[in-house]
Amino acid sequence: MVRALKHSRWRHGLFALPALSFLAVFFFYPFLEVLRFSTWRWSGLKPPEPVGLKNYAELFSDPLFWQSVKATFLFAAWVLPSFLVLSILIAFLIEGQGYERVVKGALFLPGLVTVGAASTAWYTLLAPEYGALAAFLPIPAWDQEPFWAMAMVVAFTLWRYLGYGVLVVSAHLKSIPAELVEAARVDGASPLEVTRYVVLPLLRPAVLFLLVVGSVLALQSYVAVFLLTRGGPYGATRVLGYFVYELGFENFRLGYAAAVTVVLLGLTLLVALAQGKLLEER
Amino acid sequence: MRHALVFLIVLAVLLPFFWMAYAAFLPPEIVYSGDVLSGFGFTLENLKKLAPEGFWPRLWFSLLVSGSVALLQVGTALLAAYALWNGVPLWGVFLFTLAIPVELLLVPLFGVLHQMHLLDTPWALVLPFAASPFTVLLVYQAMRALPYSLVEAARLDGAGEGGILFRVVAPLVFPNLVAAGVLAFAAHWNLVLYPRVTVGERYWTLQVWIADLARRYPADWGLLSAAALLSTLPLLLLYLLFERRIVETFEGSVKG
Repeated sequence: MVRALKHSRWRHGLFALPALSFLAVFFFYPFLEVLRFSTWRWSGLKPPEPVGLKNYAELFSDPLFWQSVKATFLFAAWVLPSFLVLSILIAFLIEGQGYERVVKGALFLPGLVTVGAASTAWYTLLAPEYGALAAFLPIPAWDQEPFWAMAMVVAFTLWRYLGYGVLVVSAHLKSIPAELVEAARVDGASPLEVTRYVVLPLLRPAVLFLLVVGSVLALQSYVAVFLLTRGGPYGATRVLGYFVYELGFENFRLGYAAAVTVVLLGLTLLVALAQGKLLEER
Repeated sequence: MRHALVFLIVLAVLLPFFWMAYAAFLPPEIVYSGDVLSGFGFTLENLKKLAPEGFWPRLWFSLLVSGSVALLQVGTALLAAYALWNGVPLWGVFLFTLAIPVELLLVPLFGVLHQMHLLDTPWALVLPFAASPFTVLLVYQAMRALPYSLVEAARLDGAGEGGILFRVVAPLVFPNLVAAGVLAFAAHWNLVLYPRVTVGERYWTLQVWIADLARRYPADWGLLSAAALLSTLPLLLLYLLFERRIVETFEGSVKG
């Protein structure tokens, strides 16, 4: 019996083989190789030459790198709170309404729709001076002012992922037992008090989950930067992910870009570890 | 008050879509007049201008590539999810890969594809995406919602494991497979930077092509909107067809 069981373990393991082999070749292997690449001076055109840890030494004294780290944290500091507050607010607003499902479907749409197309629509709508909205709304010059450039990238990112946040909060809202809310009401709590002292504390797991998803998202979402601001003006929106792209494929410094990737991966793994810890608590 | 707020939010979220659909049919004179609200007009000229720019072959190519990726991902995920459901202890491996998006591995993937001589081939667009931990997660969650006794009963009837998976389990999770497939398709369809660096112009996907079009004709909004609208249509149709399943599959994965 034990032998039969073991045998079946193996046989079932075979089913995971295709997925595992693809991940091994195109995920784990590059994941390890990046450590090696990060010790190279490499343009991608000529053969690489090993330079040891020079890339890292250069990295830590590179003002552009530190500016990029700052931009990444600034971006996260904008995105995370607004993502959480808006997700919770909208989930509350639509809870139990007849249009709940339609609204969720509509909010989810931007996340699925082509980024290239979406950014084109955003650009033509919101371009300062020429944009379609500029005719009757004061559109700040987000192509020149660092603050508004960041605001634009943040708004675009929120626009794309808000539907997901609302889904998460809403799913957790539905799992709160109605009796709990009723009991609080019977005890004389006002709707605001019920929200504050009963519902919100019970949403903690959802908030934690979104916090983690949001921070991983903040570390990796640089496509919006590429499409809307190209890191500008003056590097104000050059988040780490975009910094890597720019170094590697516009300045052709792949070895150096690999070193930045290693730092970025380290950060992401830290966040993911925190994720494990936080999610265990629930 | 509450309804008005919700209405405003939804309007703001959908505005870019309405604008895209409107501007795609706007005559160039109105666009170039500098005031798009100066007049109304309807023209198919923008759509016609797409053909000489090479829009249609790009569209078919992108459909083919993203479609193959979606099929591969659902296939590998169905198999892997069945292994997980039968207690093969690989969950940690998939969770780990889930935390790190492919776009973060842009530089090392470029290097690895270079070593394998896959750069600048269509394979570079397909093979690295043939397995996705996220798709595995979605299919696995769907399987876990089924009673395991189904599998045991089929085993007692003498069915092989492959037969159980394809004839018993797969039909039951089919709606979730479709939803996972649509999400996989959308994720791949939306890649911009990855195809841009791993393949040359010849194999650019529609998204890269549009980003490039926007660089070449920054002021021709009619043309850009037409390209944007048509490139969004395949996803829009898929989404409208399977909206309920997609949202439910997503919710299922969130409840976990």
